[in-house]
Amino acid sequence: MNHIALKMLMGDKGKYLGIVMGLTFASLIMTQQPAIFVGLMARSYSFISDVGLPDIWVMDPKVQFIDDIKPMQDTELYRVRGISGVEWAMPLYKGMLKARLTDGTFQTCNVIGLDDTTLIGGPAVMLEGKLSDLRRSDGVIVDIDGAKDKLGKAAASPDGKNTPLKIGDSLELNDRRAIIVGIAKVTRTFQSQPVIYTTYSRAKAYAPRERRLLSFVVVKAKPGQNLDELTRRITATTGLAAYTQDGFKQLTYNYFLKNTGIPINFGITIALGFIVGTAIAGQTFYNFTLENLRQFGVLKAMGASNGTLLRMILLQAVLVGSIGYGMGVGIAALFGFLMRHTILAFKMPWQLLLFSGAGISLICIMAALISIMKVIRLEPAIVFKS
Amino acid sequence: MKIKYLLPILASTGFIFATYTVISGSQPMPVAAAVVEPASAPFKAFIAGSGIIEAQSQNITVGTPLSGIASSVTVKVGDKVKAGQPLFYLDDREAKSAMAVKRADLAKAQAEVNVALANVNESQALSRLAEAVSDKRAISAEELLKRRNTVLVTKAQLDSAKAAVRQAEAGIADIQTTLDRMVVRAPVDGEVLQVNLRPGEFAQAGGLGTDLLILGNLEQLHIRVDIDENDAWRFDKNTKAVAYLRGNRDFKFDLQIAYVEPFVVPKKSLTGDSTERVDTRVLQALYRFDRKQSSVYVGQQMDVFIEAPEFATAHRAGNLTHTGG
Repeated sequence: MNHIALKMLMGDKGKYLGIVMGLTFASLIMTQQPAIFVGLMARSYSFISDVGLPDIWVMDPKVQFIDDIKPMQDTELYRVRGISGVEWAMPLYKGMLKARLTDGTFQTCNVIGLDDTTLIGGPAVMLEGKLSDLRRSDGVIVDIDGAKDKLGKAAASPDGKNTPLKIGDSLELNDRRAIIVGIAKVTRTFQSQPVIYTTYSRAKAYAPRERRLLSFVVVKAKPGQNLDELTRRITATTGLAAYTQDGFKQLTYNYFLKNTGIPINFGITIALGFIVGTAIAGQTFYNFTLENLRQFGVLKAMGASNGTLLRMILLQAVLVGSIGYGMGVGIAALFGFLMRHTILAFKMPWQLLLFSGAGISLICIMAALISIMKVIRLEPAIVFKS
Repeated sequence: MKIKYLLPILASTGFIFATYTVISGSQPMPVAAAVVEPASAPFKAFIAGSGIIEAQSQNITVGTPLSGIASSVTVKVGDKVKAGQPLFYLDDREAKSAMAVKRADLAKAQAEVNVALANVNESQALSRLAEAVSDKRAISAEELLKRRNTVLVTKAQLDSAKAAVRQAEAGIADIQTTLDRMVVRAPVDGEVLQVNLRPGEFAQAGGLGTDLLILGNLEQLHIRVDIDENDAWRFDKNTKAVAYLRGNRDFKFDLQIAYVEPFVVPKKSLTGDSTERVDTRVLQALYRFDRKQSSVYVGQQMDVFIEAPEFATAHRAGNLTHTGG
């Protein structure tokens, strides 16, 4: 019987391809668009993942997300350090500063100030130079994307490519000299500004005069500490907000979900993909069933039970579904692979494969259901009509 | 029937590639390790603070009582000096010439004493001559009175001339003091930590932005620990304290309390910036430590941890009594 089902399905190549293509595109849209969405949202907290080492982030209670800097007094660092269960606590400066390039143009940069001694929170992947080179006077580390593009020396002709920054080149940050001592690879952030790493005290010198400059205190818990308990203790003792690394990611993520149009935009695209996929695949599959109604009638007349016919249709649906799904996610992954060196945000977590799989299954089930109803209601006598 | 096999193959390749993308994409970014391991407190509950090393005598910024051009600086950085040893000399030509004038004044005053003395002798002789005349008719009463008075006047002139000598002598002593003050001497035994004055430079009396010369007794170092006023109530000077050198936490020093300054001061952020910003107020506790390694320097910062009661369990009233001086 299964053999007959497959024969029926693949008998008409055009129709077969039509169904598969419909499902492929539905699967492609339902994978690729959410992947861009997830990639974009992951960028909102990529800085938190990049810093990595600390367990807990301490900040002003009114901070809403990672780029919402509400600086604290410097002594808060020592108050946090004095809380039991804290292995170490380090200052972290994060702020937007204008860099003046050698050709005179200005570029807003994300300046990160690391603890002078330990340099905790620095970039992990150094393409050139070492993290400890930051100890050199006026030393800064820039990220490779910034060095190549926005901070690069302007090309002679307007269409030419920028000359990337090299070690030893200089920038001007708030009228102070900064010498590039390293190039790092960092995960792109949401705003995709060039990232400049330097030491905390130097960042304070670069930053405009303010009484408070401590953006974050990053904390490592002593081994065996319950992180949630420690965050509560920090908040109770200092009155500052303390989040675990995941908690802070969640906070940032939720802020972007709530306060930007990104989820709605992508939600609409995904819904459209689903609807179009359902329409194309469902309609083609239904048409295909209608055309094969006579064959089903014959089978029914020959004594095939409803259950057998149902199994046949389900087999057909599962087959086209999985082929369409596999090709769709494959094309989406290929798309991500081809775009990996561009500014495009693309991230495929395993949940996404389940999501598009579920979507395709839903489309197939809906298409199959309509067909199944038709076949079950079918009178075998139809074969002898006309 | 190529399509029969082609599509499933394409589909499974696609799925495998997608799975690969998922796996490779979910690799977390590697995390940079700390360049040096940060210091961490050896106590369960503690107060953390930043400390700055200073000399036991504190760091004495030597000033000059008089403004002037430095003519010579007799010490170098690192010199050990005894109390009273000259550190630098100011240009004293003006004072020296004033001294010559004063000495001439003294000589003149002394000469005038001699003149006055001669006058006294003369008047006394004349007076004695007149007194010796027994016949009162030989000399008029007026003449006698005149001669007696002349004796008194010349004696007064002698006293005046002697006073002028003392005045001239006091003038010399005054210039001498000025000359002494132009030599700036070490107030205590110690080591020269910094010299910001070179011969020919103008040394300004009064409070300055840059210190002329810093002196300190380095036999025993102290560490001045800033304790946030919010934590001050938990501070107990009798508990254990340790300090770690920045940059290498293997340099650990056990601290003994020296004294606590009972006056809470505005914190200077130790950024080394020319304009220090005031953040909050801090209690300053001074600790002694054994300088077993030579790799500590005055002015260096350390991370300090002081054992303290747990925040939640600390009894407020009980601890307040400890914090006083």
